Amino acid sequence: MSLAVLAGGIMIAFGALAAGIGNGVLFSRYLEGIARQPEAQGTLFGQSMIALGLVEALPVISIAFGILVLFGII
Amino acid sequence: MDLTPKVKFLGMTFDVTLMIGSVVSALIVLLLVFLLTRKLSVRPGGRQNVMEYVIDFVSGITGMMLEKKESARYLSFALTTFLFILVANLLGVVVMVTATAHGPIPSLGITAADLKLTDSVSWFKSPTSDINVTVAMAGAIFLYSHFAGIAKSPLGYLQHYVKPFWWMLPIHIIDEVSKPATHALRLWANIFAGEVLILILREGTFYFTGIPLFAWMGFSVFVGCIQAYIFTVLAMVYIAQKVGEE
Repeated sequence: MSLAVLAGGIMIAFGALAAGIGNGVLFSRYLEGIARQPEAQGTLFGQSMIALGLVEALPVISIAFGILVLFGII
Repeated sequence: MDLTPKVKFLGMTFDVTLMIGSVVSALIVLLLVFLLTRKLSVRPGGRQNVMEYVIDFVSGITGMMLEKKESARYLSFALTTFLFILVANLLGVVVMVTATAHGPIPSLGITAADLKLTDSVSWFKSPTSDINVTVAMAGAIFLYSHFAGIAKSPLGYLQHYVKPFWWMLPIHIIDEVSKPATHALRLWANIFAGEVLILILREGTFYFTGIPLFAWMGFSVFVGCIQAYIFTVLAMVYIAQKVGEE
């Protein structure tokens, strides 16, 4: 087993960890928001989805590079 | 992680898969918009309603960032970007054509060293799942935003680098470099990771190819729509930062 497998595994693991924490914070605040103001659910849903796309990008970049390392491309 | 056929021409390497993918998605967008805008009438029905909904959606993006007069100028650009990326992202989820190479093919740039990694050759995949395509698109938007800023007011363009204090110049330069880099990587990484997972699930056993594959494909459709939207929003933000302020 080469070290590249370990490196790729660590990159993917930390990416998943970061995405989990980030999305957890994002959606807990979203749920708090609709609990306080149920009529704002429509606008909040769209805004939280945009924030999801922005937040999730950085972990996914790490995961994509992790896949490249894992398969020995770079 | 499949190989792609490459052709050398005038000292440059062209990826045949990406060219096929880009041309097919561009043709689909052209055909879609052409068919949806036939027989326009004041009282819209059916197909025209769909197109008007899409244009309303995109003009919402441009109107969010720019003033009304400016936003009309960039509407067609934003619409083209959005539709092309949306179609390109969604095509890769549905259609993936791979072939198996039984030996090195020098005319398509497949060498024996490549075949040690994998022997499957991709002929059709999502063009946005390759970093060259997204870097090209983000780079074009980067150049366009700077050009639009200089064309509007050359002095104001130079001044915004030293606002609010002169010592913020290095921060502004780092910001300008990181913007196109993250813009390109964001789209590429999302589509690439989705496509690799589809490939892995597809080649797994029966337990992988059933419900997990369909669940992940559904999620890929969602991610493709979100990323097309975000790419357009960020392109408009970058243009608005250069054009918006006096």
